Amino acid sequence: MDLASQVRSSLQSQGLPSPTLAWIQNVLPNRNPMPPLPALTATARARLMAADLTNPGVLDASAGVLPPNTTNPGVKETRLSKDVLVQVLDLDNLTKSKWEQVEELEAIARGEQTRGREIVRLPAAGDDGGEEGAYGSSAATQAIATGPNLRGGPPGSEATPRNSTHRLVVQDCKGQKVYALELKRMEKIGVGTLNIGEKILLKKDTVVARGTVLLEPTTCIVLGGKVEAWQKAWIDGRLARLKEAVAADARG
Amino acid sequence: MRILCVAEKPSIAKAVSEHLAGGRVQVRNTQNKYIKNYCFDYDFGQGWGNCSVTMTAVLGHLTSTQFPPQYKDWKHPPPDRLFDAPVQTIIAEDKTDVAANIEQQAKYCQGLCIWTDCDREGEHIGHEICEAAKKGNSRLNIRRARFSNIERAHVLNAARNLVALDEKQVNAVSARIELDLRIGYAFTRFLSNNLKPMGEPLTSKVISYGSCQFPTLGFVVDRYFRVKNFKPEPFWSIKVMHKREGIDVHFAWARNRLFDRAAVIILYERCLSAKMAEVTKVQEKPTKKWKPLPLTTVELQKMATRFLRLTGQQAMTAAESLYNKGFISYPRTETDRFDKGMNLQALVQKQTPDNRWGQFAQDLLNGGFSQPRQGRNDDKAHPPIHPITYAAPSVLGEDEKKVYEFVVRRFLACCSEDAKGVATDIDIMYGEEAFHAHGVVVLERNYLDVYVYDKWTGTAQLPKFTVGERFEPFEAIMTDGKTTAPSYLTEADLIALMDANGIGTDATMAEHIQKIQDREYVSTVPRASRPADDGDDGGDPPARGARGGRGSRGGRGGASTTASRVGVMEFIPTKLGVALIEGFDRMNFETSLGKPFLRKEMELKMKAICEGRTTRQAVLNESIGQYRQVYNQSQEKLQVLKAACRQYLFENGVG
Repeated sequence: MDLASQVRSSLQSQGLPSPTLAWIQNVLPNRNPMPPLPALTATARARLMAADLTNPGVLDASAGVLPPNTTNPGVKETRLSKDVLVQVLDLDNLTKSKWEQVEELEAIARGEQTRGREIVRLPAAGDDGGEEGAYGSSAATQAIATGPNLRGGPPGSEATPRNSTHRLVVQDCKGQKVYALELKRMEKIGVGTLNIGEKILLKKDTVVARGTVLLEPTTCIVLGGKVEAWQKAWIDGRLARLKEAVAADARG
Repeated sequence: MRILCVAEKPSIAKAVSEHLAGGRVQVRNTQNKYIKNYCFDYDFGQGWGNCSVTMTAVLGHLTSTQFPPQYKDWKHPPPDRLFDAPVQTIIAEDKTDVAANIEQQAKYCQGLCIWTDCDREGEHIGHEICEAAKKGNSRLNIRRARFSNIERAHVLNAARNLVALDEKQVNAVSARIELDLRIGYAFTRFLSNNLKPMGEPLTSKVISYGSCQFPTLGFVVDRYFRVKNFKPEPFWSIKVMHKREGIDVHFAWARNRLFDRAAVIILYERCLSAKMAEVTKVQEKPTKKWKPLPLTTVELQKMATRFLRLTGQQAMTAAESLYNKGFISYPRTETDRFDKGMNLQALVQKQTPDNRWGQFAQDLLNGGFSQPRQGRNDDKAHPPIHPITYAAPSVLGEDEKKVYEFVVRRFLACCSEDAKGVATDIDIMYGEEAFHAHGVVVLERNYLDVYVYDKWTGTAQLPKFTVGERFEPFEAIMTDGKTTAPSYLTEADLIALMDANGIGTDATMAEHIQKIQDREYVSTVPRASRPADDGDDGGDPPARGARGGRGSRGGRGGASTTASRVGVMEFIPTKLGVALIEGFDRMNFETSLGKPFLRKEMELKMKAICEGRTTRQAVLNESIGQYRQVYNQSQEKLQVLKAACRQYLFENGVG
């Protein structure tokens, strides 16, 4: 068996759909000697997670796709007949009003966040913060300012409340889009924790109700990854989209 | 030995003299009509022993810090010179006779004992007294009395356990005074010089700047815009109701509400399809409503504005006067825990004559007493605010009566038991959706009987449910509502914001709030007459407001204090107030004077001086540097501020 086929079967054994051999060949490093198989598999997997699945030539024709009636709201309940790998295109926290999210984003843009009643100033880029620390004033701000995707996450996004409900737009390799609703809380789903372009494996028997995929930990696995360009565009445009949606609500 | 004792105000001098002298006091007038010198003998014990004592007082601060006369003109030299101009500390004009009295008396004495209030400001006044006394006698032996109320035994104890004056606190206050002077003058002149020439209504206004005033105003303006800009949004929810044993049981949705109708419809349909609900948890357990924490200044002000129809400042004035008369302990304190050694029952005993709470106090003494909860704050200077002696209503003024009643009820509540009840929680799964019902039955009201400001009403008793039992709910309905705008700030909200953001000290917050009203930066209106033009939310009150669960500080649930409070005043900025804050905000986001950050840093630095972590000079250099930078930026972007004024104050704006 050639190397690409070996990598393919390793990916399959991880429950992933098969990429085409040509795609695998293309992502394998051009080195001699070749790294061991587990390393190559990990490389291929990471590349797959970062890929746009709708690019022809990424997934093999055998890969599962959403059945044609998936988005039909007339169907009360149906189940997927095989595993389908999808990628996240959009994410919405239905538990918070859009305006609340707008206010949070605007506060962050001003360089502030609130914790309870306290307004906390976020460290500006290049803020040395060394001196302030002497009075303990920046201790609180440091805990929050973790991670480079600060602007994407709401305050305290590391702890999305347990009763939060999110709705995603996901897409299969054929480009078919569908809503996915968080039926049971899934830890990895949250603004600031789930990336755009991140891959989710919808396993066989995943419930689809009224044209919406219902997400729950038993049937749906968040695999990770992101498409960098999509993520950036999504974060940059989030405030404007929220505002537009609020305005549309007011008109409607 | 002859000892000079000096209190912060005449009432304290009088009270302390009476306690120390045990009745044999000679009273002499001074040049100042408010101040008397009390002469008597007293045995200080180990330190000074038997002494002949003269006790007198000052009237607050003796000195005033100011710029030399060549800086009198508001335009020349330019205001930013005030950041490094020399400052002079001199005896205030109206206090020369007070200082002269101390200087004169000091000549006859070998020792000086400071009896100013035990807080930072008091420490600084103590220092001023020392300086005045040293002019008369540079070789004085100086001590300080530590006390927090003027009850006899407490005062006698303080006189026998004298300590040294705390120079660190003196330095912190003197740094604060100098910073307030330089920064306040520089920016006030900057604002006046530049804005007044713009024409009416600015020309005739007093436009002042204070490093606490502006952030305080900033909070009001910030909330004003949050109310104005608010966009109501629809939300949907699912409610399940079941009837059993003649009781309607309402189950609330674990998801509370979602801001998408289609999503809720899908979930709702799946509930209905499931038909049967299953009980997953039934829990009956004792529950409590905690009695309040011992009373701090900030809490006193917040409660007074909520329940006593007083402003924070009125409440503090009344409390101050109650303290001066010896009825309550020192009202400026951050401490919310009583020292274990205090004899609280003796204080409870003093309240038994009252016909409103006397019986409750008696019941505490008959076995109902329970040690107060321990808060987390201790300023190491004063105990929580508590009654010292009983004051009959007839001897008190209107405001004093209200504040005294509150202090006593709070104190008795602290010494009482928590209210007790039984809570029942029932969780059900209806299809894939979780719902829960919660019921409370109040069994023992305890502290609630005396603390009329807290409410705890039980719900109906829940009927019996068993885990694993399945039933078909009587009704499941999809409901909808709309979010509503937050309210304008109340004084209690404002105090809480200032407290959380380190603006002012508990002792000065009320003054800053008063100042922004005096300057016509904000106005207050009764909540009921809220103008109808804010937000187009149609007016029908939705199921729940838009505000999420914002954590309340200190963990005490304030949830019971909702609506139904008539006469609560809301703070709304004037056009001038909006223009000033918007003007500075639009100039520079990092260090806008309308934000609390700079001032908060300054307050933390004062604390650092007190704790010996930095020095007065270092703090002066740093803070002046920061504000000078803001000054320069403000000057560069003056057009932005002027544009905001034009927008909000003159015709060519949206107002």
